Amino acid sequence: MKFDWKKCFQILGKIGLVGLIGFAVTFTIYMGNFENKLIYYVVRPFLNKHYDSQVRDRRIV
Amino acid sequence: MKDLKHLIYFENLLQEANNELVQKAVAEGRQALGYNCYYIPEVLLNLGNCFSTRLRAPRCTSPDIGTYYMTQRTCPYVRSILERAIEGGYNHLSALFGSESCAAMERMEEQLYLLHPIKHENFFVTIIDPPMKGDETNLKYYKAQIQKHILNPMKNALGVDVSEEAMRRAIAEFNELAETVTAIGEFRKLDNPPITGYEFHVIQLVSEVCPHDLILPYLKETLAEVKKRKPEPKFPFRARVVLAGSEIDDPDFTKLIEGCGAMVVADRYCFGSFPSRETIEILPGETAFDAICRHYLHWNQCARFMDGMKIDQRHTELLKLVKEFKADGIIYENMKFCEFWSYEKVLASHIMSAENGIPCCTIEKEYALGSMGQLRTRFQAFVESLEIKKLGE
Amino acid sequence: MGVLGNLIDSKLKKYDPIWMAENGKGGQRTRYYESTGVAKYREWRGLKDTMFDYVSWLNNVLAMGKMVASAPVPIMKGFWEYRWMGSFLGTFMFIDRLFEGYRDQELRVAHAQMHAIVKNLTGRIGYILSHDRRLGASQAKSEKLVPIDEVLPELFMTGFPDLYPVPLQTLPEFIICDVDQHIEPYYIDVAESFGLPADVCSRCAAETGVALDDAFPLVGKALITTNMPCNASEATSMFQRRRVGLPDYQATLAMIHNDDELALPFSKEIMKETIAFIEEQYNTKFNWKTFFEAAKRINEQNNFELEKWDYMKTGYTAEVGIAETLYKLYEWQSVNGADPYFNKVDRKVMKRLRKCYEDRYEPFGGKTRHRAFLWGPSAVYYTDFPTWIQNCWGVAIVLNMDSTMGFNMVDTEDEDRAMEDLTRLTQKATMRHMAVGGWDNVNAVWEWAHNFNCDMVLMNDNIACKGMLGVHSIMEEQARELGFHFIFIEHDLEDSRTVSRQNMRDCVNQYMSIVLNEEPLDPTIVSFDDSEAY
Repeated sequence: MKFDWKKCFQILGKIGLVGLIGFAVTFTIYMGNFENKLIYYVVRPFLNKHYDSQVRDRRIV
Repeated sequence: MKDLKHLIYFENLLQEANNELVQKAVAEGRQALGYNCYYIPEVLLNLGNCFSTRLRAPRCTSPDIGTYYMTQRTCPYVRSILERAIEGGYNHLSALFGSESCAAMERMEEQLYLLHPIKHENFFVTIIDPPMKGDETNLKYYKAQIQKHILNPMKNALGVDVSEEAMRRAIAEFNELAETVTAIGEFRKLDNPPITGYEFHVIQLVSEVCPHDLILPYLKETLAEVKKRKPEPKFPFRARVVLAGSEIDDPDFTKLIEGCGAMVVADRYCFGSFPSRETIEILPGETAFDAICRHYLHWNQCARFMDGMKIDQRHTELLKLVKEFKADGIIYENMKFCEFWSYEKVLASHIMSAENGIPCCTIEKEYALGSMGQLRTRFQAFVESLEIKKLGE
Repeated sequence: MGVLGNLIDSKLKKYDPIWMAENGKGGQRTRYYESTGVAKYREWRGLKDTMFDYVSWLNNVLAMGKMVASAPVPIMKGFWEYRWMGSFLGTFMFIDRLFEGYRDQELRVAHAQMHAIVKNLTGRIGYILSHDRRLGASQAKSEKLVPIDEVLPELFMTGFPDLYPVPLQTLPEFIICDVDQHIEPYYIDVAESFGLPADVCSRCAAETGVALDDAFPLVGKALITTNMPCNASEATSMFQRRRVGLPDYQATLAMIHNDDELALPFSKEIMKETIAFIEEQYNTKFNWKTFFEAAKRINEQNNFELEKWDYMKTGYTAEVGIAETLYKLYEWQSVNGADPYFNKVDRKVMKRLRKCYEDRYEPFGGKTRHRAFLWGPSAVYYTDFPTWIQNCWGVAIVLNMDSTMGFNMVDTEDEDRAMEDLTRLTQKATMRHMAVGGWDNVNAVWEWAHNFNCDMVLMNDNIACKGMLGVHSIMEEQARELGFHFIFIEHDLEDSRTVSRQNMRDCVNQYMSIVLNEEPLDPTIVSFDDSEAY
C-alpha cells in the first residue's frame, strides 16, 4: 500500500491545529488567571452558600 | 460554728511558701524538696531527713518578671512560681522535682536551672517525663523515670536512704497524714457538716506545703475538734457542689463560692484532696517502690491522660464524689491558658450534665483571685439554678 | 532562547514585577485586585520561565482532572458534603502565591517538588473520598483504610501493604489551611461554640471543630491517635476519638525523648504496641519486607536531605524558601517513604542542585541580603510568608524548623534495630522535636543557624503555643548575646483573624526599616490588604 503523505500531513496538521488551539485556550486561561477568577467569584460563593445552609450533626458525642 | 482552734494559724502558714514550719525544719538541718504536680509522689520526697513542700506563690498578684520570661499568654500559676523564685521566695529549697506535665510547667522548671534564681547551695532541678496512659507499659516507664529523676538524685546528691525499709516507713507516715486529712474531709458528707469547704481547703493545703511530721499534730487536734464540733443549727448553704478542674491553691476561691451560697463538699482539682490523700497500700509481693508508683499512676486524674480507661476513670471518680458527698452540681474550673483543662472542662461538663443529669457551671480563672465580681455573679446564678431545680423536684 | 524570545522578553519585561520594582514602576502587588488576592493576570517571569510555569500549571491541572476522573461521583459528593473540600479549589492560587518571584533554577526545583505534592495529594483525596462511608462507600471497602493522627509519621504503616493510612486531620485541617486562610476559623468557631476557650492552640481547636461538626471522612475500623506534638493535640484527641467512634490506640511516645536510656526503649515499646494493635484490629501481619523497602526510600531521601543542607549552607542552591519547606514537610510527614515517585523527583532535583552548586548559582538573582533560620511553628494560614520576605526584604529562609525533622537512617535488615531507628525517626515529627520536650530542643536553633551561616533568626511566635512562649525572653536574650538579628513573628497558627498576614508582615517591616534601616526590594508588598485572599 502506498503511503499517503497527504493524509499524514492532514492528520499532523489537524493535531497541530488542535494543539495550537488547545495551547491558545489554556495559555489564555493561564495568563488571564481566568480559572482562579471563576473559582473565586463564582464557584466558591455558590459553594459557600450551600455550606452555610447545611444542617450538620453538630454535637459532642 | 465555733472557730477552729488552729484555723488562723493554718491561714498564716499559707501566707508564705517559706512558712514558720518550713523554716523550723530547715533550721533543724532538714532538706526542703519542692514539687508542683501530683505526678511527683509526695511520699518519696519525705524520705530520710527530707520533706516535701508543694509550691505555691501566695499573694502573687502581679508576676511581672515571670511574664517577661514567659509572656502573658502562659499559665499564670507557673508564671507566679517563677516570679516568686526570682523574688527569692524559694531559697529554702534544696531541690525541685519537676514534671513535664504540661509544656508551661516544664518551661518554668527549666528556667529554674537556666536563670538560677534559687539561691541555695547545690540547689538542683530534675524533670520527669510523666506517662499519659495508665497501662503496664506506662507504669514501667513511670517507675523508671521516678527512679532516675527522683530516687537517684535523692540518694546521690542529697545522701538520702532510699531503701525498701525507708520507703515503707515513709508510706506509713504518709498514710497517717492522709488518714487524718481524709477523716476531716469525710465530715463534708454529712447533711449538715461541722466543717466548711473553705476550712477543709486550708487544712488540705497546709498538709501539702508543711513538713508532714510538724503539721500532723495540729491536724490530729483539728480532727478531734471537728468530731466534737457542733454544726450550725441548720445547713447554712443553699447548695452543695463539687469543685473540679485545674490548679487552685488559694482557699479564698473556695470562700468565694461558699459566699455565694454553695458549699464546696469535695475538692477534685490540683492541690485538692482528690486525689492526694488516698492511703498507699502495699500489695502482697510488691515492693514499697512498686506500690508507690502504682498508687500514683492509678489515682492520678490529670486531664492529660489520653487512654479511654483513664478518661473514663476521671469521670466516674467525679460521679462517685457527687454521689457520696451528696452534691447538687459541679463547678468546673480551668486556669487560664491551661490547654488540658480547657478541653476537659468542655467534654466533662457535657458528660456530667447531658449524660448524667448533673448541673455544671464552667468557669475560667486567673491564679490570683481577680475578677471576683464576675465570678460571683456566675456562682450566684448557678446556685440559684440549683435551688430552682431542687424546687422543681 | 532565540531572537524571537529575546524580542518578546524585551517587549514584555515591563510586566515583570521584579523589573517593575527595580525601576520604580510597581511590583508584585501591582497585578492584584485589592484585598482579594486574585491577580488580574499571572506573573510574567520572562518567556522561558513563564512557559515553564505554564506547563507546570497544566501538569497540575491534569493531575486534578485525573483525580476527578478516578472517582467522579465521590469527588462531587465530597465537594457537596465537606466545606473543606471547597477550599481545595484555591490550590492554583496557592501555588501562584508560593512561587512569586521564583525564576530559573529555583522555579524548576519548586515546580518539580510541588507537582509531586499535587500528584500525591490528589490521588489521596480521590482514594479517601471513594472509600468514605458517608459518601456511600461500603463498610468492607472502607475498612482497608487506617485513620491515624496526622503528626504520626507513616513509615510504620508501610509494613501493612494491604492497608491505606489516612492522616485524619490533614485534609480537613492542616493542608487546607495552607491553601485557604478562611477555612479553619469556621471550625474554630464551632469548637468555641461548645465552650472551648479561644486561647488554646488554634490548630487543635480547628481539629476539635472538625470533629464536632462531623466533618471527618468516615473510614477504617480502628483509629491511631498520638500525643505528638504537644498538649493541645493530646487534649483534642479526646473529642476526636469519641466522634470517630472506633476502637483506638494512643501512640503516646515519650515527650522528653532525647533520653536513649529510658525514653527510647519506652517509645519503641509504644511503636510495637501500635503495630500490634493494627495487626489485631485489621487481622493482618506486619510485613518487614515492604517496610524495609520503604525504609530504603526514606534513607535515600534523608541522604539527599543531608547533601542538600551542604549546598544550602553555601547559598549556591536552588532549593530555597517555602518550596523547600513545603516539600520536606509533605515528603517526610505525609509520605514518609510510602511513594517512590518522591524519590524519583528527589534524584532529578539533586542533579539540578549539584549543577547549581558547580555553577555557583545564586537564587533570586543574587538579591539575598540576609540568611535567616526560621524556627517555631509557622503560621499555616500564611504559608507564602518566606516568599514574601524574600521578595520584599531579600531575606532568604535558608531552612525551616520543620525541615529538621528526623533524619536518622533506618536499618533495612535487622528488625530490632529497624524498630529502634523507626522510633527515633517517629519521635522527631513536625513541631514535635523542636518546640517541646525539653530546653535542648529549642536551644538547638542557634547551632542550626550558625551551621547554616545565617545572620538572622526568625522566631515564629504562635500566640497559643505554650511550649515556645515559655522560653520567649530567654530566646531573645540569647539572640542578643550571640549576635543574631532576631525577630518574633506573632501569629495564631490557623486563625488569621487574631493576627492577620499584614500584622505578621509588620513585625518584619518594623525590624527591617527601624532597626536595620533598610529599604524594601519591592515597595508594593511592604503593606497591602490580602484579608480576603484565600
